[in-house]
Amino acid sequence: MTSDPSTPSLLENWRYSIQRYFKRELIPLLADLRLAILLLLVIALFSVTGTVIEQGQPLSFYQANYPEHPALFGFLSWKVILTLGLDHVYRTWWFLALLILFGSSLIACTFKRQLPALRWFSRTWNFYTQPRQFQKFALSAEVEQASMSDLIPLLEQRRYRIFQQGDALYAHKGLMGRIGPIVVHIGILVILAGAIFGAMTGFFAQEMVPSGQTFQVRNIVDAGPWAAAQIPKDWSVKVNRFWIDYTPDGTIDQFYSDLSVLDRNHTEVDRQTIHVNKPLRYKGVTFYQADWGIAGIRFRLNNSPVLELPMGLLNTGGAGRLWGTWLPTKPDLSEGLSVIAKDLQGTLLLYDMQGRLVSTVRSGMSTEINGVTLSIVDVIGSTGLQIKADPGIPVVYTGFALLMVGVMMSYISHSQIWALQTQDGFYIGGKTNRAQVAFEREMLAILEQLDQQMAASSPASLEQSLV
Amino acid sequence: MDLVALQNWLDNASFAVLFLTMLIYWGSAAFPGIPYLSVLGTTGMAIANLGIAALLGARWLDAGYFPLSNLYESLFFIAWGITAMHFLAEQMSQSRLVGAVTAPVAMAITAFATLTLPAQMQQSEPLVPALKSNWLMMHVSVMLLSYAALMVGSLLAVAFLVVTRGQNVELKGSSVGTGAYRDARYRLQRSNSAEAIPALNEPLGSESGGTTAVLPAVTSLTTKATLPLSPQRLTLAETLDNISYRIIGLGFPLLTIGIIAGAVWANEAWGSYWSWDPKETWALITWLVFAAYLHARITRGWQGRRPAILAASGFVVVWICYLGVNLLGKGLHSYGWFF
Repeated sequence: MTSDPSTPSLLENWRYSIQRYFKRELIPLLADLRLAILLLLVIALFSVTGTVIEQGQPLSFYQANYPEHPALFGFLSWKVILTLGLDHVYRTWWFLALLILFGSSLIACTFKRQLPALRWFSRTWNFYTQPRQFQKFALSAEVEQASMSDLIPLLEQRRYRIFQQGDALYAHKGLMGRIGPIVVHIGILVILAGAIFGAMTGFFAQEMVPSGQTFQVRNIVDAGPWAAAQIPKDWSVKVNRFWIDYTPDGTIDQFYSDLSVLDRNHTEVDRQTIHVNKPLRYKGVTFYQADWGIAGIRFRLNNSPVLELPMGLLNTGGAGRLWGTWLPTKPDLSEGLSVIAKDLQGTLLLYDMQGRLVSTVRSGMSTEINGVTLSIVDVIGSTGLQIKADPGIPVVYTGFALLMVGVMMSYISHSQIWALQTQDGFYIGGKTNRAQVAFEREMLAILEQLDQQMAASSPASLEQSLV
Repeated sequence: MDLVALQNWLDNASFAVLFLTMLIYWGSAAFPGIPYLSVLGTTGMAIANLGIAALLGARWLDAGYFPLSNLYESLFFIAWGITAMHFLAEQMSQSRLVGAVTAPVAMAITAFATLTLPAQMQQSEPLVPALKSNWLMMHVSVMLLSYAALMVGSLLAVAFLVVTRGQNVELKGSSVGTGAYRDARYRLQRSNSAEAIPALNEPLGSESGGTTAVLPAVTSLTTKATLPLSPQRLTLAETLDNISYRIIGLGFPLLTIGIIAGAVWANEAWGSYWSWDPKETWALITWLVFAAYLHARITRGWQGRRPAILAASGFVVVWICYLGVNLLGKGLHSYGWFF
């Protein structure tokens, strides 16, 4: 109740009823396993929709593929898709709300169920003092003439931790298996927290940079509300060279970019050659090799100095990538050539004004066209870089580590064995939480060994029974 | 030695051996009286396992990288994984029924890889740049092993469903310890301790789904009450259920580690640990379905055959994740397809 019952203000009343609602209604509901299972399956189901319906396409795509008449399954038209956000399932408010509900359920479950249960299992005084207490176990037995001193070495052999009190014994192993699920749940929560933190403070950018140019990160595709501090302002990156290694049969072996990090005064502070699977990291920003293109050609006409022309990506209607430019061969631009390149292997195709293929030329070679000598000095590649900063990564990786350790711990079965010595006999019983079949085998082996020990250690009784 | 010829011989041989093994296991399940059949089945499985291992080894020598780059290789790796998980399940359960469900699936996979896949998809090809990383071996092999384990666990759940059709069953094994208690019918006790036995007040008993049954049968048993207490053994159905749970319990950590390895690799290679690519999403869906299965086992009102039905449907989900996503043909995860 409120601290001063004589003047219960409206606010305190409210607070009290909200607290009561949390304790009595909300937390038990969130900790309900049926809700957890439902959430797991519902998240799975909505995730499926995102793999069946194409994500992040332009409006025209959905209009073309999901017409209103006839609608797919009678209802799935482009209007329905766009209204529900099925074109970007994983970023809709309702999917994120499901994930938040899932996280709340995890927190409630951890505190309401797992931790209280662990407190019970981790105590070391769960002794049974009545023979009837052994009857509830499936794996229990009454062994005549066995004793604690026979049982203890058998349990030690099997790495049980043994506790004794008077005539009662409690032994267990694999308590890790009870802690595992808690670690799993904490791991998932840490990953979710790290992902949220990263989305708020990180940014993602893309740059297409020709060999030899220096750039600053400008083309930011996506940035969180607190990302400004991450975006580099007082340093830039120079692409010293971009090249592609090809295998002998012409397929791409690997892309390489030789990058230098330049500080405010354009002095080099770091230099690395990156390729796919090996990015450059500098001050929390990472540069990944992601794409490539052809920026231009360097050439000479007769005895001219080296000239440079940019090349552009041609529209081939989805039939592969081609770059092209137009190269004048007369000073008044009245005649020229179309130059087409398909890759960075150095071969250029030259077409005349009528669209006929007149020659092919490789970089470093020259050819005679329209009365001039065209020497190709170089084909300049440009590197496609993905640039990213995600301050949430250390948190997410911590969550990954916890999750991995937790799931491995969760494979372990927690086995518990009780024993009691009475005047009537020796009682032993046990249970395990997961590996019932393996534990049955272990218990039966223990019982058998107890029997054998009895037969071996008391020849007198054996003789008696023989007589 | 000609490695290519060896590979062609080995893949056909593995298929033939697995086909025979399947027939042997089925015969052994149908006629349990015939001796040596289950030993023969285990031998066949061992030969297939070693044959596929030799096939993958030969390809490794041949191509110079761990052979997990195309559909053919991954199919054989998963078939190898299923035979390996089969041994684990068979050894754990001591039941010949395991082979009756695992052998046909392993056989079908090798048949598909050997007979249906066109020849040009069976050849090993150079890796694309994105896959040239040590992470490939770590991520892909763990993922495929987890698929193999989850498939074997799901198949055992199917076997469990077949064995227990039309019955009420009690689950054996869960994270809270379902099914460790004696069935009321088996409660035997000494006459001198027979007085007043209420259901024991086990703190967690309430969570084990009402398995701590009260004892209506006690009084009727007092006539033979001089029998000493002895263990209640697991039935065949209970063994299948528990081994299915244990194998899924092994596949689940492998799946988790595989997904995380993929996420870390993706982050190191192109800067995003999760991008909702269809394959990633389906791996997550598989993870969620089996997480739901593991939680269903500890839920009151979800006991009996229902978790096994969830596990059996997990078999379909694993296959969609492994092959179905390829039909979409998008992203780095596509091994290619043939139509």
